[in-house]
Amino acid sequence: MVFLTLSCWIRNRGPDRFWKVQELLKHARHFRGRKNRCYKLAVLAVRRAFVYATKSRKLKKRNMRTLWITRIAAATREHNMKYPILMHNLNKCSVQLNRRVISDIAITEPRTFLSLAKLARARQQEGFRAALGDGKEPSGVLSRVMLQ
Amino acid sequence: MSSFSRSAQQWATFARSWFLIDARMQPPGKIATMCSVRLQGKHKPIYHALSDCGDHVVVINTKHIAFSGNKWEQKVYSSHTGFPGGFKQVTAAQLHLKDPKAIVRLAVYGMLPRNLHRRTMMQRLHIFPEDELPDDIRANLTEELPQPREIPRKLSEYTQEEIDAFPRLWIPPEDYKMK
Repeated sequence: MVFLTLSCWIRNRGPDRFWKVQELLKHARHFRGRKNRCYKLAVLAVRRAFVYATKSRKLKKRNMRTLWITRIAAATREHNMKYPILMHNLNKCSVQLNRRVISDIAITEPRTFLSLAKLARARQQEGFRAALGDGKEPSGVLSRVMLQ
Repeated sequence: MSSFSRSAQQWATFARSWFLIDARMQPPGKIATMCSVRLQGKHKPIYHALSDCGDHVVVINTKHIAFSGNKWEQKVYSSHTGFPGGFKQVTAAQLHLKDPKAIVRLAVYGMLPRNLHRRTMMQRLHIFPEDELPDDIRANLTEELPQPREIPRKLSEYTQEEIDAFPRLWIPPEDYKMK
């Protein structure tokens, strides 16, 4: 007896399963345990990792901003001032530096940061004088507060 | 942040300083906020939660701490031994008598972030009930921080001239009986 249909039962499903599996496992190589080797476990772990990555793109922006704010607050407290005072008065002086740039300045350019702090302090005093005073500027000083 | 120039590299940026705080006649909460800010490193512009930039803080004279209001009798510190019926509640005055360092230590512990760094930061906090410091800690101190509260002077600390120079707010009538 010869089995003639035996050769028809052999199916070649596809030549590149190995490479498709490797494409997924390459994203799991730095995981802990069997998730970095076994396909069934790696599929779930890699999907979860990608979901976390998409959600964290928004979180990263929030976290970076809070970090910048913490750093600017620390630097202003070194100059006997507080963060909200600095930002409000820089805003009123129409200094449009964002928090990223100001925190970089605070770390690498301390004297520039000191000048920003002094500018904010001067604008604050002008605001107090405008609010409490009689509407006239002190002699010899021209400020935008009164002109606005 | 990719354009740091080599010329301005400050080598002592990540050095750990030792701060000294005198807690005589100060509210322990204010002392604790100052301590927790410096233990976390939040007083530095290079702060990052992962970069271990906290400093050491030494608090002296914690035996002479001064709560405001009636907190010595009203503030309650609770704990549980883990055994049934082991819920203990002690007032601040009783706790202070038992251990003069406990109030400041618990205050700072509660103000630090609730993560695994908290225990390391508490290791860097050194509390002493009186003025005496060990010599190795005294050798490490770099800066003393100003006290948060201005201590009011007692009547006996005013000179007679200052008492006389103070304006009289009210003149009692002749038949007024002073207690």
